[in-house]
Amino acid sequence: MKETRVMLEFADDPAQRTLEGYRGNGGYQALEKALKEMKPDDVTEEVVKSGLRGRGGAGFPTGRKWKFVPKGNEKPKYIAVNADESEPGTCKDRVIMEQDPHQMLEGTLLAAYAVGATTAYVYIRGEYMECIATVEKAIEEARAANLVGKNILGTDFSCDIWVHPGAGAYICGEETALLTSLEGNRGYPRIKPPFPAVEGLWRCPTVVNNVETLACVTHIIKRGGPWFASLGCEGSTGTRLFGISGHVKRPGVYELECGKGTLREVIETFAGGTLSGRPIQGVFPGGSSFQVLKGDELDVRFDIDSVAKAGSSLGSGAIAVFDDSVRAVDVALNVAEFYAHESCGQCTPCREGADWVRNMLQRFADGEARKGDIELLMDVTDKMNGTTICALAVAIVFPIQSFLRKFRPEFEACIAKVTA
Amino acid sequence: MSGNGKVTLTIDGKEVSVPAGVNVIEAARHAGKLVPHYCYHPRLSVVGNCRICLVEVEGMPVPQIGCNTWVRDGMVVHTESEKVLRLREGVMEFLLINHPLDCTICDQAGECKLQDYAVDHGSGITRHEFEKTKKPKNVSWGDRVVFDSERCILCTRCVRFLDEVAGTDEVGIDQRGDSSTLIVKGDGKLTSPYQMNIIDICPVGALTSKDFRFKSRLWFMQFTHTICTSCARGCNVILGSRDNRVLRMVPRVNPDVNDHWMCDFGRLHYAFANDPERLAAPRVAGKGAPYPVAVQRAAALLEGARGQGILAVASPFMTNEELHSLKGLCDALGVEDRYFLKPVGEGDDLLVHPEKCPNARGAALLGFAEAPADWPEKEWGALLYFVPREGADLPEELLERAKKKVVFALRPRDADVLVPLTTWIEKDGTVVSAGDRVQRLSKGITFEPTLLTERVVLDRLRAAVDAEAGKAADTAAQAFTRLCADVPAFGELTWAKVGLQGAPLARQEASA
Amino acid sequence: MTVEEARGTFSPELVARVEEMAKRYPHRKAALIPAMHFIQAERGGWFSDETIRDTAALFGVPDMHVRGIVGFYDMFHDAPVGKHVVRLCKTLSCHLRGAAKLREHIRERYGVGNGETTADGAFTFKCFECLGHCANAPMMLVDDRKCLDLTVEKLDEILGGLR
Repeated sequence: MKETRVMLEFADDPAQRTLEGYRGNGGYQALEKALKEMKPDDVTEEVVKSGLRGRGGAGFPTGRKWKFVPKGNEKPKYIAVNADESEPGTCKDRVIMEQDPHQMLEGTLLAAYAVGATTAYVYIRGEYMECIATVEKAIEEARAANLVGKNILGTDFSCDIWVHPGAGAYICGEETALLTSLEGNRGYPRIKPPFPAVEGLWRCPTVVNNVETLACVTHIIKRGGPWFASLGCEGSTGTRLFGISGHVKRPGVYELECGKGTLREVIETFAGGTLSGRPIQGVFPGGSSFQVLKGDELDVRFDIDSVAKAGSSLGSGAIAVFDDSVRAVDVALNVAEFYAHESCGQCTPCREGADWVRNMLQRFADGEARKGDIELLMDVTDKMNGTTICALAVAIVFPIQSFLRKFRPEFEACIAKVTA
Repeated sequence: MSGNGKVTLTIDGKEVSVPAGVNVIEAARHAGKLVPHYCYHPRLSVVGNCRICLVEVEGMPVPQIGCNTWVRDGMVVHTESEKVLRLREGVMEFLLINHPLDCTICDQAGECKLQDYAVDHGSGITRHEFEKTKKPKNVSWGDRVVFDSERCILCTRCVRFLDEVAGTDEVGIDQRGDSSTLIVKGDGKLTSPYQMNIIDICPVGALTSKDFRFKSRLWFMQFTHTICTSCARGCNVILGSRDNRVLRMVPRVNPDVNDHWMCDFGRLHYAFANDPERLAAPRVAGKGAPYPVAVQRAAALLEGARGQGILAVASPFMTNEELHSLKGLCDALGVEDRYFLKPVGEGDDLLVHPEKCPNARGAALLGFAEAPADWPEKEWGALLYFVPREGADLPEELLERAKKKVVFALRPRDADVLVPLTTWIEKDGTVVSAGDRVQRLSKGITFEPTLLTERVVLDRLRAAVDAEAGKAADTAAQAFTRLCADVPAFGELTWAKVGLQGAPLARQEASA
Repeated sequence: MTVEEARGTFSPELVARVEEMAKRYPHRKAALIPAMHFIQAERGGWFSDETIRDTAALFGVPDMHVRGIVGFYDMFHDAPVGKHVVRLCKTLSCHLRGAAKLREHIRERYGVGNGETTADGAFTFKCFECLGHCANAPMMLVDDRKCLDLTVEKLDEILGGLR
């Protein structure tokens, strides 16, 4: 198994983040082609043909999302680039922004052209200070070269791009919370309907896309949808960035095609297997918001649909591995602490439930769980599943319930012995 | 596809036809079902944060919140399936795990949706064994509202009311997750003259009234449907009393008058009805006298003043029936000078009306003219004067130009015959509110058992001066029927037609 | 306070920057959170009641709106901070690679827990959730500088040098 470096092809070259370097390696040819030879709908069709699915975690087909923007709507349209990357285990959008930001900008402009947007905001999480600086610099260079702003490359197409920093809230990665935050408010997700493509920023049609998704768009337009679809496998076309971290020998960000091996093979080939040499106890194949896979469940084919069938998800391209030097209970607690801290507090089941789940897991970690606590945890999380405004509650349910099911003996061992 | 702006859908197996454009909660109400809800309010924007209105809609993979699901033809909704009941129980449990056990000291008891839904939909036990979250309690938000953050379920009804209805945008949220708590802008004191409405719409005891705090448990009180009489708007209210004393007023829904709201001033303006200094019996020449003596003396005074002219000054706080009886008396005595005083002040663009009295219109319809700025240079043999409850009074020098004075007032003052006034909560009757709407008052308390209403006293006076006066009406309702026959503007109205929501006059006012 | 008066409470450079940022959006309020980073830096690294008031006036929003933003977002401080802000990640991959030990070490060696400032005011220590450098765990941010692949030694070298 080898990496297929498309997005990261020139990432190690420091010149790549400059306009000159980027152009020297073929950058902005896709934009030129689109503006001069393609109609906006052609751009969308190419993305549909490519089979591109969103890279932020939900995996929604990108071309289909763009088509939700109503035609003939008089209101201004926006692109919001979701660079809030805060899903535990995820560190790959940052690499694009720090080392090859122009491919994200080019993709943003292509998306704007496709849906008729005139302004794009890149919502970068506030803690990514280097990204903010790099992307702002890249935008300025692009603006000076008539690639951003009015009448791009001498055509009728105008689009401005601005960086908009967040300020430290995981929930702002949820697309409607991102929009609410961007408007200058606390980052509360919105009830749907209406959906952002119809009513997003300031109630105008808005497409929210992940950084990596837009980077892919650049390459799709450059080399064609069918080319992209020829990479990877059905249901997981193209290349994807995966950050592999945790108890592994070679943590890092790798660009891979899906479907060329199993999850285990990916971890062993690229990350070198466990640091300790001890067997893997569990893996989060797609960030902390999805079910954990046990050490003996890793022979699943490495693609979106296969992992989904195995009861988990490739999510945001974040593979976190842990061996048996840590207790499963402690990993679950750490994850529960994260969500309790990050819940926005808007709706009842998540606001109250996240804290309750964390408190119960703390009891397990302290070896003071009561008999019946496992069933109680399952029941409480059941009542958080599908009952909330956004998916943060679900992001608690999936991993915690999977820990309870798959590591049950470890949890039972934490139940306090009753003294006679 | 049903037409005429109606939609047909099935709720719990029953087909029901509802107006198009409503949500499932409203549709269920049409079908006679209550879908429990906290954050939803028919007059405020939808936020969908409490999650207790979750229902199952066939064809949708996950349960939907009823407040944000809009009816469509053919929709099939289940509000009581096993899954829905389980989820409701879940939401109730989540709400209660950090909710303080304050019921025994919380004013909301008896009208608390947390209590009500816990009984109807809760599991009855607690499984949460951790310490509850600690938040600020008994926080003063000014001189009217008290906030308790531990009780707050963050439904944001108060936030939305102050934004969307009152327009003052003065409550927000601080912190995140389950540390979230409400804050007030500026110096922490609410400014809206409608702020107390948030007490009504708060589903729990997080927002309570300082005025009503710890006064009484709800179940010891009597409730009367009447209207507020502090201005001409006539906001519909439910007045709560106990042991014949008024304890509070809250608004009653009337889409044609005040919708769901009332102003704070009107809400708090009732202490005068409980005032122990009020007149409890008539006085003749400054000394207490029973009604028959006072009536006889007053009749003699008025009869004797026929030749020199009588000045009658009505009060716009009187009911139509009382004014009608006064008219009858004035007709019998040949009174030419008939006026009423009208207190005025500031109005606003919401509910507050510049006329600070409930029935100036009634007074005008019954033949009384607004008091002039300059009174004619006259002297009268007698003055028959109904002192306005507040806000206006006859000038001293005018009072001196009447040889004799028969005065109706709430509190003692100089008069040859002084008769106690009753307040709006002590009698049945009607008034004509702004917009020419006839609305009913209902008797709720008896301040003093021997007090007679103005209508009864006036009818007796009439009988004393007019041998041809027929039998007086027994009840206000009867009096209203006679009044309608007498005054064309009241048209085809009946006591029943006026009912508890009021009815328009036959003539419509040019501007409300 | 009017917008004009509020402008007078900040440096001309900041005001110019804020006005330039405000032009990027159809509504001024959208520039609030980006501006608050600069405002926080100019006002000693935290939001006092006065700073909240000035910020709110600058944007024509109620002060409680700004307070609600300070309380919601982890990067804004509602209490004074030390000369530097140290944000140590505690989530998942960093946890697996020893963040808890580093936290303990910081408490022992520098005497501070989550949210606390060292006695000499050199730095305020905050435990942060996933900072997006999972492949270089454990890691921390010192102000806007990233410190990756931490060991106790590296940590001491960096924190010890902070004055």
